[in-house]
Amino acid sequence: MNWQIVRALITKDFKLYFRNRFFALITVLALVMYIVIYFVMPQTVDETLEMAVYAPVLPPILEQAGSPGLELVLMESEEQLKEAVTDGEYLAGVVVPPDLMDKLMSGEKGQLDVYFSTDTPEELQDSITVLLEEMAYLQTGQMSSVHISPEVLGRDMVGIQIPMRDRLLPMLAVVILMMEMLGLASLISSEVVGRTVQALLITPMTIRGLFAAKLIMGVSLAFVQVLLFMAVTGGLNQQPLIIILALLLGAIMVTGIGFLVASGSKEMTTVMAWGMPAMIILSVPAFGVLAPGTVSDWVRAVPSYYLVDAVHQAVNFNAGWSDIWDNLLILLGFDIVFVWLGITVLGRKLR
Amino acid sequence: MSGDAIIAQNLIYSYGQLLAVDDISFKVAEGEILGFLGPNGAGKSTTVKMLTGQLQPKGGQATLLGIDVARNPEKVQGNIGVCFELPNLYEQMSAEENLDLFARLFGIRSFDTDALLERVGLAGREHGRVEGYSKGMKQRLMMARALVNRPSILFLDEPTEGLDPMSSETIRNIILQERERGATVFLTTHDMMEADKLSDRVAFIDNGKIVVLDTPHNLKQQYGKRALKVEVARPDGGLESHEVILDKPETAGDVQGLFSKERVVTVHSEEASLEDIFIEITGRGLVG
Repeated sequence: MNWQIVRALITKDFKLYFRNRFFALITVLALVMYIVIYFVMPQTVDETLEMAVYAPVLPPILEQAGSPGLELVLMESEEQLKEAVTDGEYLAGVVVPPDLMDKLMSGEKGQLDVYFSTDTPEELQDSITVLLEEMAYLQTGQMSSVHISPEVLGRDMVGIQIPMRDRLLPMLAVVILMMEMLGLASLISSEVVGRTVQALLITPMTIRGLFAAKLIMGVSLAFVQVLLFMAVTGGLNQQPLIIILALLLGAIMVTGIGFLVASGSKEMTTVMAWGMPAMIILSVPAFGVLAPGTVSDWVRAVPSYYLVDAVHQAVNFNAGWSDIWDNLLILLGFDIVFVWLGITVLGRKLR
Repeated sequence: MSGDAIIAQNLIYSYGQLLAVDDISFKVAEGEILGFLGPNGAGKSTTVKMLTGQLQPKGGQATLLGIDVARNPEKVQGNIGVCFELPNLYEQMSAEENLDLFARLFGIRSFDTDALLERVGLAGREHGRVEGYSKGMKQRLMMARALVNRPSILFLDEPTEGLDPMSSETIRNIILQERERGATVFLTTHDMMEADKLSDRVAFIDNGKIVVLDTPHNLKQQYGKRALKVEVARPDGGLESHEVILDKPETAGDVQGLFSKERVVTVHSEEASLEDIFIEITGRGLVG
């Protein structure tokens, strides 16, 4: 491959990209907008106490409970309670055994199992424990009448709660990457429609050289933008190498998808027609990070899941290589598939 | 090298069931201008695509400058220049940037853009974006782009179609200058007058086959009607037309008779045009 030719093509592509007023404007504006969105999102978490309760026999004290800042929701089973707490629907859940009242009345010590969501702050866990002990005291008039055994379901997030804006980071990263995918697809399809690619292909430039140039251009455009975004928003403060690698693999993946979109497009309208559904599908895993429990396991079938999860784990949980290597490996697999598929389908169209 | 810049041997190409090029063979000598004429869908573009390495022939072989096009398209493409029928320039870039890009694709490091732009009459417009150019200016820039690598073979597809007389003349002059330089020119056109003026030989292609290939002069000799059209003044002030067939024993007497008995106003030789010859050979016109 002649790298001087590849360099000439990349220079030309960047020139054309930034001379397209729409893409030049949207690239800069969108980046600024995403950074603004990040910073206007709440930095603190909502600590309103929503507590799930499973009690086959509801103690009178719980019947009367409920005040501003405290909401009790009755569950039908212990399993349902655990699932709801695990999914983050409730910050805490209490399982009240049916014989609790009998034990308390007979002077025996009762048992309460309390489950906390990973997001429940440590202070809130303590407060809930104290609240339950207080309720038992009000019911029996005796101190230490119940034994409370707390358990955090899922990863213990005590002291590391995730503010909304940090949950938003993976989604914004995916959206930035996908926007560049649309830009690349539009650039390629305009070359096909304008037949400039035909002029290129009767020079000593090979189709391999052409794809190398497009790949480098597409990846660097997406990668640099998303990296800039992450740097400004503090997304690279922990595990920077893992995050950079994940974003690079993500940029390669969207470039491959960009080739596919370009192969089915004739101009901007068809680029959007193909690109938007792809963008929506690839954004779904990020919703799972924004609102835990809203998406099921099928989300693992969406290729961007492994990018979103890797970024989320590294940025928000300081996860290391041992936690994320499998995500990165699967992402690399999707990269190979999409780039190969994109080059094959688009290459057929160009020839 | 054989002295032939282009050798096409039994070239075949089909799009599915449609046979676009049907076993054609021809040679074009170095420094020759070949006019490649035929109606739309006759197989002209497909032939050019096979010769320039854009399509792999389904049968036969194309050799340019002694190199097999199918086996080594990049090497061939480094020595040819192609001017397309419709503008396919980077319109958001300037003329200078367009030419610089293609110079770099051909691996040319030092390249005098200004001189080339001056040659095609675009001096002073080199920095403006191509999207602001007229059709004639774009076509002249396309011509300049085809010349960036000083090609040994030039493929020109309808280079003057729809252009103003000045742009057409500029392009015709460049074609002749390129031949003087030693370049071979493969000229695809509908314009019979242009083909007649510029081509050393013309090939007629119809339904994927070359039906005739010869010099315009020979074709006119072979297919044309050799006659003189003589117009004489009538006593009432009008004009009367007479046709004198050449190559007959009585021709000289007929001409002499007209000049002695009538007041001859005009004398024209009647020569068949390439269009007439194409119709005579194929039974249909070139356009459509």
